[in-house]
Amino acid sequence: MLQPIITQFLSGISIVAILVIVAVGLAIIFGVAGVINMAHGEFIMVGAYTAAIVGQLGGNTFIAIPAAFAVVGLLGLAVERGIIRWIYDRPLETLLATWGVGISLQVIVKLIFGSELYYVGAPKMMDGGLRLIGLLPFPYYRIFLIVVAIVMMFLTFYVIFKTKFGLKVRAVRRNRSMTGCLGIDTAKVDMMIFTFGSGLAGVAGAVLAPIKSVSPPMGFPYAVDAFMVLVLGGVGNLWGVVTGGAIIGEAETILAFVTNNVIGKLLVFIFIVLAIRVFPRGIFGYYERSR
Amino acid sequence: MQAVLEIDKLTTRVSGYTILDEVDLRIHANELRVLLGPNGAGKTTLIDMITGRYKPTSGKIRFRGHDITGLPPDRIFRQGISRKFQVPNLYETLSVFDNVMVSLKGERRVFSNLLRRTSPEDSDRIWQVLEWIHLVDKANEAADTLSHGERQWLEMGMLLASGPQLLLFDEPTTGMTEEGKFQTAEMIEKMAQDHAVLLVEHDMHVVRQIARTVTVMHQGQILAEGPLSEIVANETVQQVYLGKGGNGAS
Amino acid sequence: MARVHRHTVYRQPLLPLWAVVLGVGIVIGIATYPFYGQEYVTSLLGKFLCYAIFALSIDLIWGFTGILSLGQAVYFGIGAYFVALSLKINYATLHPTRYGGTIPDFMEWNGLTELPGFMEPLLSVPFAVVCALLIPTLMAFIFGVITFKRHIYGVYCAVITLAEALILQDFIIEYQAYTGGFNGITDYSNYANVYFLWVILAVTVFFYIAGRMLTHSRVGTVLRSVRDNDVRAEFMGYNVANYRIFVFCLSAFMAAAGGALYAAWVGLVSFLDTGPVFSIEGVIWTAVGGRGTIIGPFVGTFLVKGAEFFLSGVLADFWQLIMGGLFIFVVLVMRDGIIGSIGKWIRRHRAGSIEQIIADSDAIAADRQRDFRPAGASRQSEEV
Repeated sequence: MLQPIITQFLSGISIVAILVIVAVGLAIIFGVAGVINMAHGEFIMVGAYTAAIVGQLGGNTFIAIPAAFAVVGLLGLAVERGIIRWIYDRPLETLLATWGVGISLQVIVKLIFGSELYYVGAPKMMDGGLRLIGLLPFPYYRIFLIVVAIVMMFLTFYVIFKTKFGLKVRAVRRNRSMTGCLGIDTAKVDMMIFTFGSGLAGVAGAVLAPIKSVSPPMGFPYAVDAFMVLVLGGVGNLWGVVTGGAIIGEAETILAFVTNNVIGKLLVFIFIVLAIRVFPRGIFGYYERSR
Repeated sequence: MQAVLEIDKLTTRVSGYTILDEVDLRIHANELRVLLGPNGAGKTTLIDMITGRYKPTSGKIRFRGHDITGLPPDRIFRQGISRKFQVPNLYETLSVFDNVMVSLKGERRVFSNLLRRTSPEDSDRIWQVLEWIHLVDKANEAADTLSHGERQWLEMGMLLASGPQLLLFDEPTTGMTEEGKFQTAEMIEKMAQDHAVLLVEHDMHVVRQIARTVTVMHQGQILAEGPLSEIVANETVQQVYLGKGGNGAS
Repeated sequence: MARVHRHTVYRQPLLPLWAVVLGVGIVIGIATYPFYGQEYVTSLLGKFLCYAIFALSIDLIWGFTGILSLGQAVYFGIGAYFVALSLKINYATLHPTRYGGTIPDFMEWNGLTELPGFMEPLLSVPFAVVCALLIPTLMAFIFGVITFKRHIYGVYCAVITLAEALILQDFIIEYQAYTGGFNGITDYSNYANVYFLWVILAVTVFFYIAGRMLTHSRVGTVLRSVRDNDVRAEFMGYNVANYRIFVFCLSAFMAAAGGALYAAWVGLVSFLDTGPVFSIEGVIWTAVGGRGTIIGPFVGTFLVKGAEFFLSGVLADFWQLIMGGLFIFVVLVMRDGIIGSIGKWIRRHRAGSIEQIIADSDAIAADRQRDFRPAGASRQSEEV
C-alpha cells in the first residue's frame, strides 16, 4: 500500500527536478527584465540538439552541457540584441515576438535535421538504477537530474548573490532607474541576464535530451511547465522556482497516478489559478513591493 | 463645522516598518489643507489609504459620515473622493477631450454606459473644464503628445470634471515651470472654494501662495498642525523639515 | 495640428460612408461568388469569415481593452466541438456503419457500443448550438471572475490562458472516445451550400457592426481607458474588473459563434482548432490587420490566411518561417498593422504639413505668453 505512494513520491522528485531545471533560466530573465521568452521551449530544444550533435561526435552528456550552454547562450544573445532589446517596455508584445522566434527556430531545426526523432543516450555509467529495499530501481539518470537541478540552483544563486555582476542584477531588479543613475549600464545587465538565462535553457535541453526524444516541437510543453512554475512560485526570489516546481511536480505526479495525466494537469492548473488569487505575483512574489 | 474627512488613529505597518502611526486628521468642507513633510513621512501612503489603494493595519477613515476604511478605490471614488497622482496618470491614446469626458461625474457601471450619449450639458461642462485648464486648443490631441505641465493640468481637469467633494493632490506642481506652478496654485485655490482639498506639496513658494491650515507629517506621525505662520515659526518643524535656512525643499 | 475653434471635437462617424460602400461591395461580392466561382475558393471564403469573427473577438479584448489572451481558441474550439458532435451524432443515426452501429465511428473504434448518456441531448442540434454559445461564455465568465477580480492581467493572464488552451487540447486528444481525439470529428453532413454561406456572412456582418457600435460607445471609450491606464480608471470610479469580464465574455461568445459556424461549414473539427497555436495565430491576424480597429482583424485574417493558402503549397516549411518572421515584424516594425498605419497616415495628412504644425504650435505658445505671470509677482502674501 505504501510502496506505490513512495515510488510516486520519488518519481515526483525527479519531475520537480526537471521543472526546476527548465524554469530557472526563465525565472531570472523574467525576474530581472520582466519579459517572458516564449521561445524558451525552442531554446531547450536547441540545447537538446546540441547534445545530439555532441553525441554524434563522440562526446557525452558532460561535454554536452557546457556546449549547450554556449550555443544557446549565444542564440539568446542574438535574440536579445536583435529583438528583445527594442521592446522591454512592452512585455506583452515580447511574448508575440519571441513566439515568432520559437516558430522560426522549429522550422530551421526541422530543415536542418528533419523532423524524425533523435535518440540521445545517457552516459553509460548511469545505466541502471539505485536499488532501494522493496522498491523498483530508481534510475541513476533521474538521480543525476536531481543533482543537476541542485547544481543549477546553486550556480544561479552564486552568480546572483556572490558576484559583482549579480550585484548589478539585484540592483537593477530593485530599482532600475536609480541603478541607471548610478552609472550602471542597465541595458547591458539585461543583455547579460538574457544570455545567461538562455544558456541555462540550453543546459536544460542537454540534460533532458536522454529522457525524451529530441524533435523540433519537443520544447513547447517544457516551456509551458516553466511558465506555470513561475506563475505559482513567483519571481521575487529563487526560492520561488524551487517551491513552484516542488508543488507542481509532486501534485502532478500524485494526481496523475490517482487519475490520469491530463486530469492531473487540469487539477494542478485549477489549483494554480486559485492560488494566484491569494498570491497574485506568485508565492514568493508576495513580498515584493510593486514597482 | 462637521468634518468631511475624519481619520482616526490610522496605522499601517508593512514588513515590520510602521509607515503611518496613529494618524488623526480632520478636513472640513471647502477647506484647503496643505500636507507637508519630508520624503518618507508617509504623505503619499496616507493618500493611498484614503483612496483605497492599500488597507491600513488599524484605524478608521470616515467620509461624510460613511466608513470607507479598506474599500476598493472605485467605490471610494463614487463616495466623492478624487485623487491626483504624483506622476500624471492619463489615458495616453485618448484625446484630451475624451480624457475629461470619461472622467465626468456620472454613471460608472457597464450596462448603464452601453447606451450613454454625451449630452449637450456634458459637452458644455467638458469645454468649460478644458478652458479652465487652458487646453481647449489641444482638445483633439492624444494625451501622450502633451508637455509635462499640460499633463498635470489635464489630470487636474479630469478630477474637476469628476465632481467630487474631496480632492487629493499629490505634489501636482512637480516638474512645472514657475509660471506653471503659479497657475496651478491658483487653480487649486479656486477649486477649494467648492471642494475640500488636501494638497501634498513640497514647493514652499506654492505653499506660501495658497496655504491656510497646514499639517506637517514626519515619520508617519502628525508633527504639527495650524496656520502657516505658526508652522513656519515652529522650531521642531524647522529642524525636521524646513532646514536651517527655513526656505525648505523645492 | 489645425487650429480648433471652440466647439469642435473630432469624432469618427459610427459608420462612415466609405466603409458602408466598401462593406456592401464586399458582402455582395462574397455572397454572389459561389454562383460563378470555384468551389474550393467558396469553401475558403466561408472558413475565412469564421476566422474573421474569431479575430474580431481577439481584437475586442486585446486591441481595445489590452487583455492578451493566448487561449481564445478554447472558446472557438468548444463552440466548434459542440456543433460538430451534434451533427456527427445525427449523421451516425441516419447512416449506420458497416457493423450496424448508429453511433459516430470514432466512438465505435474506441469500444463504445452506444451513445454516452450525457451526450444524448446533443441529438438536438438547436440544443447543441445553444450549448456551443453559452458554455464558452459561462467559462469565460468564471475565468474572468477568478482572475480579473484579483487584478491578474498582463503577462500572467497571457501565460495562464496559454496553459488553459494547452490543457483543453490535451483533453480532447486524451478522451478520444468522446471527441475523436487526434483525428478529430469528420464525415458528417455539413452545410456547405450557398445559403449557409449567407448565414455566416450575415453573422459576420452582425458581429462587426455590433463591435463597431460597442467600441464607438461610451463603454468603448472606457475600455480604451482601461487599456491605457487601468489604475487611473479605477481611481476614477470604474470597476475595471467588471469591464474586463464584460468584454471577455462578449469575446468568448463571438469566438464560440465563429467556431460553431466553422464546424457546420467545414465539416472537420480537430484539436488544432482549440490549442495555443490557433489562439496565437488569431492574435497575429489581428496584429497584421491592425489591432484596435474593427476592420483590421478582417483584413488581417483574409490577407494572412489567403497568403498561406496560395503560398504554403509552394513554400511548404518556409511558410512557417515567414509566419515566424511576421510575428517579429508586426511587433517591431508595423505596430499599428495595415489599417492602423493607413489611419495614421490619413490623420497626419489631415494635420497638415510640418510647417503648418510648427506655425500652429508657435501661435498657441504666443497666446500663452500673453497671459504669463511669474510666480510670486503681483500677489502679496497675506498673513504670512
